[in-house]
Amino acid sequence: MAKRRIAYYLMTIPALFLFFAFHTFPALQGIFYSFTNWDGFSDGYAFVGFKNFINVFKDENVLNSYFFTFKYAIAATILINVISLLIALGLNAKIKAKNFFRGVYFLPNVLGVLIVGYIFNYLFSNAFTVWGAKLGSDFLSQNILGNPDWAWVGIVIVGVWQGIAYNTILYLAGLQTIPADLYEASSLDGASKWKEFWSITFPMLASFFTINMVLAMKGGLMIFDQIVALTGGGPGRSTQSIALLIYQGGFTGGEFAYQSANAVIYFIVIVAISLFQIKVLQRREMDL
Amino acid sequence: MKKGMTTVLAGMLAISLLGACGNSSSDNSANGGSSSGKVEIEFFQNKAEAKTSFDKLVAKFNEANPNIVVKQVNPPDAETLLKTRAAKKDIPDVVGIGATDTFKSLATGSLFEDLSNDPVVKNVQPAYADMLKNYTANSQLNGVPFAANANGVIYNKAMFTEVGAEVPKTWDEFIAVAEKFKAAGKNAFYLTLKDSWTTLPAFNALSSSIVGIDFYTQRHAGSAKFTGTINEVVQKQLQLTEYAQKDIYGKTYNDGNVAFAKGEAAMYLQGVWAIPEIQKANPSIDLGVFVLPATNDPSKNKLVTGVDTLLAISKTTKHKEEAKKFIDFMMQPENVKQYITEQKAFPTITGVTQDDKTVEGLKEAFTAGNLVDFSDHYIPAAMKIDTLLQEFLQKKDVDAFVSKLDTEWDKVADRK
Repeated sequence: MAKRRIAYYLMTIPALFLFFAFHTFPALQGIFYSFTNWDGFSDGYAFVGFKNFINVFKDENVLNSYFFTFKYAIAATILINVISLLIALGLNAKIKAKNFFRGVYFLPNVLGVLIVGYIFNYLFSNAFTVWGAKLGSDFLSQNILGNPDWAWVGIVIVGVWQGIAYNTILYLAGLQTIPADLYEASSLDGASKWKEFWSITFPMLASFFTINMVLAMKGGLMIFDQIVALTGGGPGRSTQSIALLIYQGGFTGGEFAYQSANAVIYFIVIVAISLFQIKVLQRREMDL
Repeated sequence: MKKGMTTVLAGMLAISLLGACGNSSSDNSANGGSSSGKVEIEFFQNKAEAKTSFDKLVAKFNEANPNIVVKQVNPPDAETLLKTRAAKKDIPDVVGIGATDTFKSLATGSLFEDLSNDPVVKNVQPAYADMLKNYTANSQLNGVPFAANANGVIYNKAMFTEVGAEVPKTWDEFIAVAEKFKAAGKNAFYLTLKDSWTTLPAFNALSSSIVGIDFYTQRHAGSAKFTGTINEVVQKQLQLTEYAQKDIYGKTYNDGNVAFAKGEAAMYLQGVWAIPEIQKANPSIDLGVFVLPATNDPSKNKLVTGVDTLLAISKTTKHKEEAKKFIDFMMQPENVKQYITEQKAFPTITGVTQDDKTVEGLKEAFTAGNLVDFSDHYIPAAMKIDTLLQEFLQKKDVDAFVSKLDTEWDKVADRK
């Protein structure tokens, strides 16, 4: 028994060490620097107390990026879950070449986010505009990524296109856990397909729905790579997400400590949202 | 965000570990120097376009100096990497970067050697040395200017002949030329405002001639305000958008280089650094460059030029002498000449000239010394002036924009 325990320790301690070194320690460092005025490279720094935090609350650029990030995250979460559930239902039905299609729909998840972003960036600026011009639409013949009111939609399109792959797989896995005899019984009772979905499929998927909502929301709130590849935060600051603002301000702008404070606040916000989501959705699971 | 932050910090840690390895290996070779007699120097530079040009010069140096091995390092996103390395106090022996905000902060952080009394500076044109001195409050010279760039208007000579336009000398003539192209159903300019930084060449040309660099130093000191001062600059920049192609906010710098090379516009508001890219897309294009005439007084219209690459020595290097030797070598007229010919850059030392036909339109300004620095180098980076301009050109509200410049500047200054 003791030998076994040593084996466990040997397996856990390196992992614990790595997690601490590359995850916990940098996070603690970030919290530490958020109370200083360090610019990221100078020799010295001084402690400034809560000044950075107060300035974050006074900065309308921060407010603006919160607004964009939540707008994006909510839109993306809803779209990803609706579409991936539909695709999962389709891929779970009795169709030809089922495995082939499952592979195809999973493909976007394998591609690098930046590569996908750059491809779409090219499409938005040089391909979609040509199609739009052919349709004779003035609006569609312009690159929507260059339009401050619509650029966020372009990012949603790419984010959702790529995001549905992973959630589809989770929903598919969920669908396979539903026992077939439930459907047999319902068909004997003469239930319609619609009734079947709402009364059997969806309730049985409840826990998968919860995890997918939380994952999609978390992914949406951390949006970064897609924006770097598509708009770089522009036009103006209209698509600058919080993560991007922290990166750009912290490194390019030389305001490391100030953006660390921003990051600390955002960390708290994300934890709060995730806890809230899990709590609400799990209660709903029980009710069903 | 936690994930992003961690990735960044983990990256920094990894970089510092790699940096440490690099150090120890160079130390080893230095200690082993007694046996092999070689000192290794890291030459870190940020211009991907110039990698091969530097490779040639480095090879030449290594051959002439059997005891020194210079290694060129040219990573992607070099400025950010340099900042993270600076945070770990691991500065490369010799650094080659532009006179950007990064250089300014590192020099102010006194990470580079003071070279103001070094004999190598004697040949340097005072204008460029002064530009670098202006960045640091302590009047030190923390780097030697190696090559300069210029920011004007690139134009398509064939298209100018076609509509019978001449190179304009005043703002009114400039607009008249643009009108001429508009009347002929052509695009006078090709704007690529999806990339926010491409708002800067026009802004710098207008601002540096109209309000000058002094204004920005006064703004730093708090004795001047954007409101009421810079209105003409932004008004004129806005006016230029009327003569450009459709969808100016949807096109990127790369789109612009290709489109301009194909003759989709007569003028291109960019620096000379875009010329090699345009010629790559269309080798037979006949190009010229002229100074953007920001005002109606030709003597006031200055050419915006800055230090494209400067060479600095780390204060903490263990091989100061060898590093200096390398810089002396680079600054020799024949080597400067070789580099600027390949890169279409401009010399920063006296006695060397850039004779390329494409850029001869700028020669007059260079010989007359009618030069001025980039305005945006004096604006705090955290303000993101390029982003603000990109937003303004879409909203078109001059008064709101200039007062926003003031509030943003004060906000950034407050956070220091």
